[in-house]
Amino acid sequence: MMPVDYLVAQDLHKSFNEHKAVNGVSFTIHKREIFGLLGPNGAGKTTTIRMLSTVLEPDQGDVIIGGHLIRREAEEVRNLIGVCPQELALYVELGALDNLIFFGRMAGMSSQEAREQAMAHLKLVGLEERAKGKIDKFSGGMKRRVNLAVALMGHPELLFLDEPTVGIDPQSRNNIYETIEGLRDKGMTILHTTHYMEEADRLCDRVAIMDGGQVIALDTPHALKAQIGSPDQVTLEDVFLKMTGRSLRD
Amino acid sequence: MVQPRLVWFIALKDLKLFSRDRAALFFFILFPFLFVVLFNFILSDIGGEDDRLVFHLVTLEEETETALSHQIIAAMVTPDESSLRPGEPLIIEVDDYDELRRQVEEKELGGFLAFPEDFTESLFTYREAEIEVVADPEAVSYRAALYGLADGISSWIGAEYVVRGTITELAGEQAQDILESLEGQVITGEPLIGYTSDNTAGEVEAEQPSNYTISGYLVMFVFFAAALSAQAIVRERQNHTLERLLASSVRRSTLIGGIFTGTAAKGLIQIIIFWTVGILVFNVDLGLAPAAVIILSFLMVIVSAAFGVMLATLVKTDRGADSLATLAALIMAPLGGCWWPLFIAPQWMQSLAKVTPHGWANEGFNKLMLFGADFADVAPAMLALVVFTIIFGSIAIWRFRTAAA
Repeated sequence: MMPVDYLVAQDLHKSFNEHKAVNGVSFTIHKREIFGLLGPNGAGKTTTIRMLSTVLEPDQGDVIIGGHLIRREAEEVRNLIGVCPQELALYVELGALDNLIFFGRMAGMSSQEAREQAMAHLKLVGLEERAKGKIDKFSGGMKRRVNLAVALMGHPELLFLDEPTVGIDPQSRNNIYETIEGLRDKGMTILHTTHYMEEADRLCDRVAIMDGGQVIALDTPHALKAQIGSPDQVTLEDVFLKMTGRSLRD
Repeated sequence: MVQPRLVWFIALKDLKLFSRDRAALFFFILFPFLFVVLFNFILSDIGGEDDRLVFHLVTLEEETETALSHQIIAAMVTPDESSLRPGEPLIIEVDDYDELRRQVEEKELGGFLAFPEDFTESLFTYREAEIEVVADPEAVSYRAALYGLADGISSWIGAEYVVRGTITELAGEQAQDILESLEGQVITGEPLIGYTSDNTAGEVEAEQPSNYTISGYLVMFVFFAAALSAQAIVRERQNHTLERLLASSVRRSTLIGGIFTGTAAKGLIQIIIFWTVGILVFNVDLGLAPAAVIILSFLMVIVSAAFGVMLATLVKTDRGADSLATLAALIMAPLGGCWWPLFIAPQWMQSLAKVTPHGWANEGFNKLMLFGADFADVAPAMLALVVFTIIFGSIAIWRFRTAAA
């Protein structure tokens, strides 16, 4: 069966002052796919996600999500997407449940619907017992899981996950992996950025490697590994380092 | 376009965050009352002898035994200025109507009360007798005080006539004897028309510092709290919740509307607590037009919320918002008469106060709560607050649009 394109990014450009953060990025994401966006710091991953999620307007190029052009139909696009930013985008003075309900209501849900979804998503990320706990009392891993749960409010068709597992313990990371795989199995399309190559290898159906604001490689992890050796003997990290170099970026 | 439901949810969220912030609750709800208590003590002498109001009374009636205006004035004038308590007005009789009028026209005097030459005749023939209030139109507070005094006199006279009418109705044929005995009292120097400064000129007293300290600190802290709410939008940005909100159908205008509504709601809570505690604990008198005090308070909350949103669109960092809010509060509060009543300040300072919304709000509160002004007297202050709201709001919208672009 031919994959259905759910997101089509066409020649995206974005500059901040004189700095070209994204310079002609194009790719497509198939429906029900976990698409990995990899790259060193400053490669343009987060800027790309911000353009795709309608937060930033591209200087040039356009994006089609679920058949809607974001330049013309941003409202419709916003109803289809969920965003889990790289940073913890939460009101830490409020409880986990309060956060989810608030963002649910912001997404247009009724009070009851928001509460039901909030409890379901907290259960999904293993935090139903801590629903009323204040976020600033949570561990880093718990905060990350709440961050992900908020992005699921409204059952988005396309989920943007910007480094959702950064800085957390293996148990929480594994919980998030399982949650992401479960979401894909239920039909969600996911764009996932990460610095953890084994994470991308495990989760992603295809990955794009970005550097200098451009996509320098795009294929399945297996095919990318095959480009530099035997897929069973090389890792995605080897591919990444070969393509982006070993020089420090920060 | 603003999304009203979402505006309300954002406002509720901000209120919830406010209610969980104990430091903010202390600073904006309890802390102001510490100032009120302190300054009540420090300013308790304002309205004392040096600041005493002086009322000039003059009558154009001939001085006869039955001339009521002479009896009223005799009963009202201050016999011994040294016996006056702090805040009590000094009342003096002056003979020269034309001279008083000249002084008012040349702004040497705020105004005076004059009894016309047919005052007694009008009363005894059941025609309407008038007390003339001659006042400098710019001396609004003083004019309001004169009206209060004139009202007091007319109330006493009215009560006198009710007594006479009642006696006539109830006592029948004996009424004439009773009335004659009462007339006798007037003639023998024990006037029926009594006068005490507490009752008839109560509105011009300044004995309760809380009447201006509460309103002053209310204005200051409502503005301060609103200014600090400029941090709200910065925090949304720093917490990355702004990104999340913007990616979930929330428009920037909705976000601004939510912050404005939340700030205004916090201000309303502040004024409800301030006035309730002020009335119950500090015995604050809202004056003759409490509705005007409430409307003025509401306008003050609206203008402060607009000010807060304007600041929010001007700053980029939490520290910037904090600094600008504190600076604005510390400059505008004393300038606008929040720390001491404007009417004890020099004229140039009173004029300078008009460049701040604080100055207009405080002038309005002082007029209403200290000088017995009515709604019409504070209409200019209300209008000024509306104008400030439009100015702050316009700047916020302009900044918001240019920032979004």
